[in-house]
Amino acid sequence: MTAKAFELKGKTALVTGDSKFWLKPIVTALAEAGADIAVAAGQTHKLEDAVEIAKSTGRKALAVPTDITSGAQVKKAVDRVIGEFGRIDILVNASDVNLFQPFCDIKDTEWDRVMDYNFNSAMHFCRAAGRQMVIQKKGRIINVISGLAERGHANGTAYCVSMGAVLQLTKALALEWALTGVTVNAIGTGWFTENGSAADEAIARYIPAKRYGKPYEIGSLVVYLASDVTDFTTGQFMYVDGGLMAHA
Amino acid sequence: MGTLDGKVIIITGGGTGLGRSMALCLAAEGADIVVAARRKEPLEETARGIRKLGRKALVVPTDVTDPTQCNALIEKTLAEMGKIDVLINNAGIVRGERRVPLWEITDESWHTGIDVNLSSVFYCSRAVSKYFADKKSGKIINVASGEGFRGQRDSYMYNTAKAGVVNLTRVMAMSLAEYNIRVNCIVPGFVDTFEYQPEEYQQAMAQLRATGGTRRLFIPIGHTGKPDDIGYLALFLCSDASDYVTATPFICDGGGLTGGFATTGYAPVVSLKEALA
Ligand SMILES: NC(=O)c1ccc[n+]([C@@H]2O[C@H](COP(=O)([O-])OP(=O)(O)OC[C@H]3O[C@@H](n4cnc5c(N)ncnc54)[C@H](OP(=O)(O)O)[C@@H]3O)[C@@H](O)[C@H]2O)c1
Repeated sequence: MTAKAFELKGKTALVTGDSKFWLKPIVTALAEAGADIAVAAGQTHKLEDAVEIAKSTGRKALAVPTDITSGAQVKKAVDRVIGEFGRIDILVNASDVNLFQPFCDIKDTEWDRVMDYNFNSAMHFCRAAGRQMVIQKKGRIINVISGLAERGHANGTAYCVSMGAVLQLTKALALEWALTGVTVNAIGTGWFTENGSAADEAIARYIPAKRYGKPYEIGSLVVYLASDVTDFTTGQFMYVDGGLMAHA
Repeated sequence: MGTLDGKVIIITGGGTGLGRSMALCLAAEGADIVVAARRKEPLEETARGIRKLGRKALVVPTDVTDPTQCNALIEKTLAEMGKIDVLINNAGIVRGERRVPLWEITDESWHTGIDVNLSSVFYCSRAVSKYFADKKSGKIINVASGEGFRGQRDSYMYNTAKAGVVNLTRVMAMSLAEYNIRVNCIVPGFVDTFEYQPEEYQQAMAQLRATGGTRRLFIPIGHTGKPDDIGYLALFLCSDASDYVTATPFICDGGGLTGGFATTGYAPVVSLKEALA
């Protein structure tokens, strides 16, 4: 159930990204709050699943198969969404490619792929959809990233750098568009799992909440940030991580 | 039906400003509210608003700098309302004694500033913590300030206390997580609670607004916040929607803290040609 103040009826949300976890729960939460949904991602079952879910809530839903690493394709995808819905109120970027390798072993092509998926895709979508939002004089951009945008991790150079880049994009863009009615915020995720394994249980004791997050627990913050009551909130990085980021 | 149906929420400083806004936003979603501060009249006014929304309201006059009164607030709430789901530590002195050189600050004003803005959070949280731990659930929301993240000239007590609130939030969150207690903090920027502020402050703000001065007050989005901006943030943090969120400062400041390198984050436009010249 969505609190009245957070309802998204009549709004169009574009959710993007090739990620193992986030498409489905984010689309579910936004659609349940009343938004019509477009999903731009690589043509896989994840894209289809997400769109099916949105449809099952009775909202309009559009699948836009897109190579999200290509600026030209992203622009086409955004144009298509505007063509179908007339506007874009909410953009959620949630690409998440996990590469963890010793720094010296990472090939240039691997490094570039991580940057392309995790950072450049968000950058392209922010520009293409942001242009429309600035014209509308209103918009919400939410970048779903990791707490590793701020913290370091051994063997995580490529991942940390790509996430940190999205965080800095979030902050600089928030200020650049501060007077346009477009807010830009980021959500810092911690450790999440869909169906807990024994390994998860062992690691969970290092999380203050003593458990992994469930993907749907991201959706509720996305809905809050997408709603009309967050005009005064921009450039922020908010954690949904069971307390991880409070560690020394 | 609301997302907070059946919840009992205590708000310190609930008679005015952000506290009153939170009380009404939360009551509108179904919560019963307990308001606590020193002056009875503003508390009664908030209580009338809550009851108009069809919810229960309890007024408990409390000085949050007195640990005995903080304990009594929790006991009275349990006796009258039967339970507590959320404690919001919002009481604070926004415009305390300022612009006094360090060598002239008295012990008394130091202790007052620290007690109202920081120790009060400790006293009220301690008072409710055993109850929350025993029932293995509960949420604590502390109201800090953007000034807890930055320095400010001649603002010793307020900035120090609010920084303390941010870190007390983290320590409580980590320590109480195993009892399924969530602790977060709200970090407001400049929020229009002027109607509750002293005359001379209201005049100064009105003048600033008239001259477009809020931009110069380091608010990138160009205007101050409304109390409801904070009220609805409290709604998110009180609801089950935020069950995996703990130890997080939620900054609601029109982008204020994100910039700061240049006054409002704006820099001159420089082309690549110029940059390489
Ligand atoms: N408005 C802003 O721009 C802003 C920005 C950053 C942070 N904040 C924080 O937000 C909170 C609320 O501020 P506000 O803007 O709503 O100002 P406000 O209207 O002055 O509210 C402060 C409340 O705290 C209560 N209080 C003060 N001393 C107390 C004591 N010893 N015992 C019990 N209650 C006490 C006051 O009631 P009594 O006087 O009746 O006791 C008053 O209702 C404060 O913690 C403030 O630091 C506000």
